Amino acid sequence: MGGCVIGKGLPRIDAVPKVTGEAQYTVDLKMPGMLVAKILRSPHPHAVIRSIDATAARRLKGVHAVITSQDVPDNLFSFYQWLADKHILCVDKVRYIGDEVAAVAAVDEDTAEEALSLIRVDYEPLPAVFDVEEAMEPGAPLVHDDKESNATWSVDRLFGDPDKALAECDYVVEGKYVTHQVAHTCLEVSNCVAKWDKSDRLTIWTNTQAPHTQRQEVARVLGIPRRQVRLISSYMGGGFGSKLVMDMKLPIAAVLSRMTGRPVRIVNTRSEEFTTGKTRYPYTMFLRTGAMKDGQIMVRDLRVIGDAGAYHDKGPATINFSSMMFGTLYNVPHIRYHADMVYTNKEMGTAFRGFGNPQVAFATECQLDELAEKIGMDPLALRLANSNCAMETTSCGADVCGCGMTDCMVEASEHMGWEEKRATKAEGVKRGIGVANMVHTGGGGRFYGFNSAEAFIKLSDEGTVTLITSALDMGQGAHTAMAQIAAEGLGVRLGDINVLSHDTDLTPYDLGSWGSRASFMDGNAVLAAALDAKDALVEAAAEMLDVAAEDIVIEEGQIWVKGSDEKHALSEIVDHSVNAHGLPISGTGKYVDKLPEGYTIPTAFAKNIPCFSFGTQMAEVEVDEETGQVTVLKVVAAHETGTTLNQTMAEGQIEGSVAQGIGYALMERIVHEDGRIVNDRFLDYKIPNIGDIPEIQTLLVESEGTNGPFGAKGIGEPGLVPTAPAIANAIYDAIGVRFRELPITREMVLDALREKRS
Amino acid sequence: MKAFEYMRPSSVEEACAVLGGSAGGAKPLAGGTDLVVQMRQGGLRPTMLVSLRDVPGLSFVRVGDDLTLTIGAATPLASVERSPEVRRHYPAVADAASWIGSAQVRSRATVGGNLCNAAPSADMAPILLAYGARATITDGRAERTLPLEEFFTGPGQTVLESGELLKSISVPPCPTGFGKYYKTFRSAMDCCTVGVAAWVSFTDGTAVVQDARVALGAVAPTPIRSRSCERVLVGQTLDEALIQRAAVAATEDALPISDVRASAEYRKTLVSVLSRRALDAARVWVQKGAAE
Amino acid sequence: MKKELHITINGDEHQLLVATHRTLLEVIRDEIGLTGTKNGCGAGECGACTVLLDGEPVNSCLVLAHEAEGRTVVTIEGLAKGGVLHPVQEAFVEEGAIQCGYCTPGMVLTTKALLDKNPNPSRQEILDGLKGNLCRCTGYVKIIEAVETAQCLLEERGSEWADV
Repeated sequence: MGGCVIGKGLPRIDAVPKVTGEAQYTVDLKMPGMLVAKILRSPHPHAVIRSIDATAARRLKGVHAVITSQDVPDNLFSFYQWLADKHILCVDKVRYIGDEVAAVAAVDEDTAEEALSLIRVDYEPLPAVFDVEEAMEPGAPLVHDDKESNATWSVDRLFGDPDKALAECDYVVEGKYVTHQVAHTCLEVSNCVAKWDKSDRLTIWTNTQAPHTQRQEVARVLGIPRRQVRLISSYMGGGFGSKLVMDMKLPIAAVLSRMTGRPVRIVNTRSEEFTTGKTRYPYTMFLRTGAMKDGQIMVRDLRVIGDAGAYHDKGPATINFSSMMFGTLYNVPHIRYHADMVYTNKEMGTAFRGFGNPQVAFATECQLDELAEKIGMDPLALRLANSNCAMETTSCGADVCGCGMTDCMVEASEHMGWEEKRATKAEGVKRGIGVANMVHTGGGGRFYGFNSAEAFIKLSDEGTVTLITSALDMGQGAHTAMAQIAAEGLGVRLGDINVLSHDTDLTPYDLGSWGSRASFMDGNAVLAAALDAKDALVEAAAEMLDVAAEDIVIEEGQIWVKGSDEKHALSEIVDHSVNAHGLPISGTGKYVDKLPEGYTIPTAFAKNIPCFSFGTQMAEVEVDEETGQVTVLKVVAAHETGTTLNQTMAEGQIEGSVAQGIGYALMERIVHEDGRIVNDRFLDYKIPNIGDIPEIQTLLVESEGTNGPFGAKGIGEPGLVPTAPAIANAIYDAIGVRFRELPITREMVLDALREKRS
Repeated sequence: MKAFEYMRPSSVEEACAVLGGSAGGAKPLAGGTDLVVQMRQGGLRPTMLVSLRDVPGLSFVRVGDDLTLTIGAATPLASVERSPEVRRHYPAVADAASWIGSAQVRSRATVGGNLCNAAPSADMAPILLAYGARATITDGRAERTLPLEEFFTGPGQTVLESGELLKSISVPPCPTGFGKYYKTFRSAMDCCTVGVAAWVSFTDGTAVVQDARVALGAVAPTPIRSRSCERVLVGQTLDEALIQRAAVAATEDALPISDVRASAEYRKTLVSVLSRRALDAARVWVQKGAAE
Repeated sequence: MKKELHITINGDEHQLLVATHRTLLEVIRDEIGLTGTKNGCGAGECGACTVLLDGEPVNSCLVLAHEAEGRTVVTIEGLAKGGVLHPVQEAFVEEGAIQCGYCTPGMVLTTKALLDKNPNPSRQEILDGLKGNLCRCTGYVKIIEAVETAQCLLEERGSEWADV
């Protein structure tokens, strides 16, 4: 499925500005008169605010403004407005250590920090709750007093008759699985600059993955019309889901800017990034899986307690999405899923690559291995026997179109040497291999009731092609992918495309880059725009060269008449059209993800997913039984791409995901003591460095049947989903110990080995 | 960071005089990789920083003809890591230096800084203790030398008085022996969770331990020698059974705490494991020597 | 309290009045306006702020500006010559070793320093050399490939870049 531009591992179009230091990120912005703001954050996990005295802070030389809840609109906010529970600045209570209480705008950082230290807040500490199971007990401290319980949102799914199936199964395995808070640790911290212009319009420059929806959120919480708000993103130092929902820094900066008449910048310190930057949702999971002796998985029953932290964000959407992936993988006939989102007095969660799927996959794929052992089947054989098939509709209503799941398993197995390695065990050294499968969305979701994108292409008179797309490039290469699609569709070279984006005044409304949707959704829109522009170009060329449109060929930026050797540059045709006829050439494209028959939001469930992406990972580990150190030696990651748009970039997404997966499996955990995070720096919150990476072999599996551009599916998230269970299963193969909690630390390994020996 | 005065003296005398006259408010600045972090995040508020950058005679690595190793206190770790003489004669010291922080940190961080910061986990301490190192301290007029073991008095505390600077570390010539340092690390960027260094010398032509020094890092308020372990070793044949007993003895001297990096119990286990490994490396070395 | 600072950055001599508590990173970004060097953590733990100080890679967030008095600094902006990428930069582009790009300036400079000292590093030496540069996007695989490619490019063309 290769083309002239598609399928080639071409260098990214933004690589040169990044490698020369020319690329400006929002944190690099400078503006005349810009003030620096800092936020006063709660030191208590749960407390009443009795009074705030900012007099001394206001009087400090160099301070331009100090604000508290009295100075900002008192609207409540959340990603889902019907769950709105957070003020811009805390009014009566603080609910986690880091909660925003006041803010200062000053001439420089030192002054702002000094001003913070002069603000006197009188707190009355309240009992706090940090554990989700405790938070669900009657009588637990209520994080939000206006609610009856800390469990304020739940999701229930039921397909088939799980209880009957469990009773009839030959084998049932049951277990509790726990995952914890982990941080995105984008290298660029969350930051923004807010500025009002003379026409009373607010512009905010910020590293956001979703400028249009964040713009709505800013307008909503400030209580101003959307037309007054403009959001501009730039080169972004990572997102991974952390930059989807508005951070309170945006309205805080906006208010300070309004008050002072100056641009105001707020930048997280790295410590703030760890303590307030929002985390992956911890899941406590109770799972049962039942199968027949021939290996057919008949029933899966999962109960999830999600830890929302102090305020709601993407939690309800996350436990909803988990249910869809849980229900789709292996097309299990009987499914029960119940999940609660529960408040605790901790840092809130948000979206994080995988969006609930890595948590659930850890439980389900580890339990599948236990089931395999009980049945007496090889773990891979069990999975092959239950593989999803192309063009099926699963028991829960998921429409699987293209499906390369079996291919992924077979290829991974060959490259890892599954059979040989499972059969032979070296003496002395404890090595093992494990496998895990995954399914994820390859095109976002229809959860908002729609899923669509739009793009524009204009050709300048000298032949430069400008692509205006809402696809947000946070480092994953969306702009390069869009440019490749445009180039392929139009018949030009990658280098002919100039991409404009990231500005809500310029780009069409778009839901943002998440759910691995950019390649699929924005890509389809870009392709449509390119084909539209091509039609116009062909027409102009036909007119100029006096032939029929069918006789025009456009390739690699050159145009000629079929059968003729005379090649014309693009610029020639466009120049003629513009300057001889006054007709500029452009194209518009829209892609609306067609909703299936009978789709309604409440019943849609897995029909929310326009395109599923399957994959398999195998991990080989070595365990040092004396220190508990687990070393990952090799990971083979076989993932579907549908059609690979850019091999280098697709591999890069998977390699990066696997690295994050290794961190998730073995290293990363935000550690609290009485609600205070004690490892809020890279020294003690370990993410993989270059020495921690095993040999990673990436296999890109192409398959037919997808509606993405040129048949492509999204690849941004899938690589992170199966890594942790593959590693956990490999550890079991190595030392015969099963772990049901992440991360699997050295101490846990040693303790488990000690217990096993006794 | 709060504002402070900054001075760059051009002699040891001047540096000590300024430090001494500041009533404790001034701090010496070498690489700054610990100091700047503490000033930014740890609440350290010196009124003055006395840069040692232009003070001569503090940055050098020398291995004498008699194999005395002397390292200037302000010698960057990278210099120790890369010194061919240290690599040849004291490879474990070069290793210890190379496992601290990152290349960027080692360009600036100094041996003296690592020791004077006196973290219980100070990574240069165990191997230097195992080699019987001595610390030379100057007050600008006179010098005094003491065993490195006596240099540390508590977490973050040393014997340095106001107006004193650590001048150099010297490792006296030892009889031929084997030195090895092990630390648990997931990567070099780890702060030492546990570190064990061992130096063993043998009675000529045998595997009988003539002398042994074993030092532990990050398992006590300061880096320490494990006398219990040493007592088990000296005068005995270094075989697997002895090593096992010695490793257990090492844990007796360990008084680790539990923190976000590791529990006390895990640290104790690691002391035993790493001691065993270090001593086992010595056993293999002496056996190979006997075979040759 | 401000003090005069003389420093050469990317070949340009500067004379500045800088407060004693300012770091080299702040001077580079705020006084000189070279924003290619990034602030990732402020504690010398991520390497995003790496610059070359007299040829040695350092975390500029931990170097007090006045400690660099009279010294020579090279930032990422100082590598390319006349619009031509330095071989290390070219290798990073070619091998797809750049995603969000935030760690890239530090990673490139540390690579340059490594290869300047050790033109033929083993794989382990490459890993040891770059441990202080965190990347959250790439998983490091293509970064290692870029270092190996840079090794070859420098072998071919190293003499042209000797003065950088």
